[in-house]
Amino acid sequence: MIWRLIALIVGACAILAGAVLVAHASPIESLQTLIHGSLGTPSAIAGTLKETTPLLICGLAVFIALRAGLFNIGVEGQLLAGACCCAIVATRFHGILGMVLGVLVGMLAGALWALPAGLIKAYRNGHEVITTIMLNNVAALFAAALVSGPIKDPKQADTATPYVDASSRLPWIYSNPPVQINFALVIGILLAVGMAIWLKKTVAGYELQAVGANRIAARFAGISPQKVTVVAMSISGALGGLAGAIQVLAYEGRFYDGFSPGYGFDALGVALLAGNSAYAVLPSSFLFGVLSKGGTALQIDGIPKGITTVVLGMLILIAAAIRYRKVSKDA
Amino acid sequence: MLNLLVLTILFSTPLILAAMGGYTSERGGVINIGLEGMMLMAACVGALAAAHYGPVGQMIAGVVAATVLSFVHWLATQVYHIDHVISGMAINAVAAGGTNFLYLKLSDPAHGSGLPHLPISVFCVAGIVVPFLLWFYSRQTRGGLRLMAVGSDPDKARLMGIQPIRVRLFGLLATGILTGIAGVELVAYTGVFTDNMTSGRGYIALAALILGGWRPLPTFMACVVFGFFSALRLQLQGTPLFGAQLPSQLWAALPYLVTIIALAGLLGRNRTPAGLGKP
Repeated sequence: MIWRLIALIVGACAILAGAVLVAHASPIESLQTLIHGSLGTPSAIAGTLKETTPLLICGLAVFIALRAGLFNIGVEGQLLAGACCCAIVATRFHGILGMVLGVLVGMLAGALWALPAGLIKAYRNGHEVITTIMLNNVAALFAAALVSGPIKDPKQADTATPYVDASSRLPWIYSNPPVQINFALVIGILLAVGMAIWLKKTVAGYELQAVGANRIAARFAGISPQKVTVVAMSISGALGGLAGAIQVLAYEGRFYDGFSPGYGFDALGVALLAGNSAYAVLPSSFLFGVLSKGGTALQIDGIPKGITTVVLGMLILIAAAIRYRKVSKDA
Repeated sequence: MLNLLVLTILFSTPLILAAMGGYTSERGGVINIGLEGMMLMAACVGALAAAHYGPVGQMIAGVVAATVLSFVHWLATQVYHIDHVISGMAINAVAAGGTNFLYLKLSDPAHGSGLPHLPISVFCVAGIVVPFLLWFYSRQTRGGLRLMAVGSDPDKARLMGIQPIRVRLFGLLATGILTGIAGVELVAYTGVFTDNMTSGRGYIALAALILGGWRPLPTFMACVVFGFFSALRLQLQGTPLFGAQLPSQLWAALPYLVTIIALAGLLGRNRTPAGLGKP
């Protein structure tokens, strides 16, 4: 089996090198540009960490659903729901109240947006991937309708909500422009650690993983797979909503049309690459942050940013091939 | 009125072709959320080829491009045993990024819009004929029955001497061809490739397939209904309905909402092929 894996990796690398050569650039130089643009200077590292934050939280959202045996492809929609509702609430209040309410409403919105997928999976056996794909599209369309109408800031030309008051924003833990690191990153890291402990040390975490490993065995052990499915999907959605709320409160300051560049989709790659450990989501999301930030540097060099999405797709395939090779060996 | 009819046919054809592509894949038991990516890749490669090789070259290049992606899906799911959903996601990512890269690098700006293409009516006729052909194929021929058998229970099919891996290969090659034609039609109609020009049509085709209960003719009907609503939306744009101006996004969200309701089991029984996603 190992030679198949090697063939896959060699094939992927050959396609990428070929693509870069078609773009009339040297693969080695492009790699240097990518690394320099994401890790070369303090401000580049800060930018990479900024990209890492939503990927980390969304990655955890996908990860916990995956532990319960669910594919939450809907993190993108849950993020949009969370960000949109957070912006609506946070712009109405000042100070800490706006921040806390914004985060809570964002999480609630994300959880509610994931709930239909969880319920349909648990009680109707409708594939959660299909429902979440549909919910993603609905979220994107509804958010676009809201932001171009009812919640649009009449004082601005662009389709966006008003800015959240500065006193309600998440604070910077290090600020020396252009090098700024937001408190949001700390939240993300704490969440990863908290989730790892929760999964390992609590009954609920154990039940969730038991259902993910084998639904039928879990049912014989007295666990209700239906209940766990709905709960896992809701937690996952709440985390997706939290990622959206944090994105509003920490970096963007408002909600606008085209808010997410696809963090929810990249998060699937983050979670797959992380494998079985919540701690592994940390380096995995950082790698995706590097790719995302470095892609911008490549674009300045005349290599279209799309190439980083191709890299991402191939990483997903390779990570999945390794993961499923292990699974089929166990069986 | 005539305008509405023409628009309906125009909008539903790519949906029908893509949904039929989904049919040959999912009836064989392979979950395929990569329809979107296959269409997008076909549209991009078709647009690039049309500038040099004319309308027939456009069609061939687009179909080959989609078939290559479809083959990758077969390789990933059947040879590497990767989960079907992950492979589909990866294909969508590769197509979204790859088309952006290819088109920016290889397109000839001098050519502009107005690429040569086959007459649109060819695509429309294909859109009407293919569902009936597939209906006949899956009911009356040995190959079609084998495809259904593999999708319903791969293990029993194996016992009867059918190799699911081979049957699925042919199913997925058909998927590539059909989604390829669908993608080429998009670029033939608009005359120019733009980033993410499929804008969710692959997912709407998937929705139609689910609403149609994985059967060719009801799926065909679902696609026509979705196409009709898109046409209606274009016609009604700006005209107030029931005294209020509805945002156009609500119309666009309609197919997705109906699908969620159907999956909740509120529209008849669940007809998912039993072997969907099984090795």
